[in-house]
Amino acid sequence: MQKNPNKKRKVLSYIIITISSLIMLTPFITAALNSLKSYVQYTAIPVEWIPDPVQWENYVEVWKMTDFAQYGWNSLVVTVLSVVGALFSCSLVGYAFARLEFRFKNSLFIMVLGTLMIPPVVMIIPQFIIFKNMGLLDTLVPLWILEWLAQPFGIFLMRQAFLAIPKEYEEAAKLDGCSPLQTYWRIFLPMCKPQLATLTIFTFMAKWNEIMAPVIYLSSQEKFTLPIGVLSMSGAWFGQEQYLVAAALMTLIPILIVFLFTEKFFVKGASSSGLK
Amino acid sequence: MKSETNTLINIWTKISTKKKRKGLNSEGKWALLMISPYLLHFIVFIVFTLLASLYFSFSRYDMLSAPEWIGVENYNKLINDPIFWKSLWNTVYFTLLFVPTQTILALILAVALNQQLKGLKLYRFAHFIPVISSWTVVLYVADAIFNPRFGLANDLLVKLGLEPQKWLNDEQLVIPVLVAVAVWKGVGYMMVIFLAGLQNVPEDLYEAAEIEGAGFIGKFRHVTIPLISGTTFLVLVLSTITTFQAFEQIYVMTGNSGDITAAGGPNNASMVLMLYLFQQGFAFLKMGYASAIAWVLFIILFIITLIQVKIQKKWVHYEK
Repeated sequence: MQKNPNKKRKVLSYIIITISSLIMLTPFITAALNSLKSYVQYTAIPVEWIPDPVQWENYVEVWKMTDFAQYGWNSLVVTVLSVVGALFSCSLVGYAFARLEFRFKNSLFIMVLGTLMIPPVVMIIPQFIIFKNMGLLDTLVPLWILEWLAQPFGIFLMRQAFLAIPKEYEEAAKLDGCSPLQTYWRIFLPMCKPQLATLTIFTFMAKWNEIMAPVIYLSSQEKFTLPIGVLSMSGAWFGQEQYLVAAALMTLIPILIVFLFTEKFFVKGASSSGLK
Repeated sequence: MKSETNTLINIWTKISTKKKRKGLNSEGKWALLMISPYLLHFIVFIVFTLLASLYFSFSRYDMLSAPEWIGVENYNKLINDPIFWKSLWNTVYFTLLFVPTQTILALILAVALNQQLKGLKLYRFAHFIPVISSWTVVLYVADAIFNPRFGLANDLLVKLGLEPQKWLNDEQLVIPVLVAVAVWKGVGYMMVIFLAGLQNVPEDLYEAAEIEGAGFIGKFRHVTIPLISGTTFLVLVLSTITTFQAFEQIYVMTGNSGDITAAGGPNNASMVLMLYLFQQGFAFLKMGYASAIAWVLFIILFIITLIQVKIQKKWVHYEK
């Protein structure tokens, strides 16, 4: 951002971030190479970098030998239902807080912000008991249902988006006889696509990678989501760890694709979480 | 699909317009309808669970029979529980190593990235892959480096003529290794938060400092640091609070095939409060005892936040 770029400073910056990028990537590259090795080569000392021969069949083996497809399907169900739920509930609640007048609005909104400060840990056990009493243990429902009940981060994000829209739109809609719900759905929601995209990528990432809730709620193997499914494979593949690396790397692919397409929104969401 | 939704909304509107005559269609009623997901969330999953959790922490509760009120017994037991103290210490140790390291590295990277460089997107991408990876992915990727038998780290040590290490299986090394991996995973995210903060620093302040003869270090100390102190404060608070509640990393990286009772080793050297809470609650069904741990954790976090807010007034610079 310097007007007179200090050359020395630029060179130093390049060196710093190149080294840092290499540190970030080396483990992934090594793991990717490991996933293509035979077990003999995988465990060779000293380390042999290049797989020889390249064993693509390690990846096929993961699909053939395990419930990988089932885990993937479970993860997809949880993630998609969570994303839809978050988009629906957070935008609805956010709209009400931004554009409608009602009693106790401010105190209710302060409550929303207040709940952000309560550590989730104190609620885990009663939550578990609620779901147990509802007969939902060992189902995927507890993993996505809470996203339908408007989490504070999403409410806050959507409220900010709705607040930024000029009042004229609302008045025009009112003249046309739109109810608040119609105004929200037809006029305001389409104008908040960037924030909806941000909410999508954040919910997607959190749910696709989530480990804590699946560990608590799921007990039968065929209900497992990918992260704990792949973890649970390690017993069966003791002494064949190249398959585990292949399986783990495959779980990364979908989120990598989503990320590549929505990088802009990811950066936006990340940076907005650090600003007041 | 779209027209279907619109029809649904029309029907909804019709129903509610009918109610209008009974005075039910004011903006307030619409608002109540629209915030109902959050109200349900708040009443059931916040207020009710908080009260229940507090009650459980004074009870003996194995989930098979009704909770039995035992007063402060759980808390008494906690005070005399050496593993609780060990996990509290480990949590503090982890946080003290992790938070400053990650914050300083993220700031350095953000400053380096905050200029017109070629390949900016690629650099950012490299730092984001760990951020978007699940801890399961991280476990197997980090194994390429820290595997005690054939990892790169030991390969390097041996080539340098040094002793190979047991890394995660070493009581002394387990937390430093976990911290190194956690920094590797999280630094990209914090870097972006800092980048956003840096881009809010007005350019003319740097120019003014330059005119007064400030070099790079001088500008960094007298302009950058004070002007992003708000961001830094937030990063510190957020990462302290999340680190104190860290569970997934320790569970995945020190457990064995997802066996929760096996995690936290070797010899409890990486047992942290959250993991202990989980073992007590979900593996041993001591829900009352686990709730007591949860409340102790809550109180500690509350005190940390209070202290940080107090200190903040001394060093955070807010623009007027």
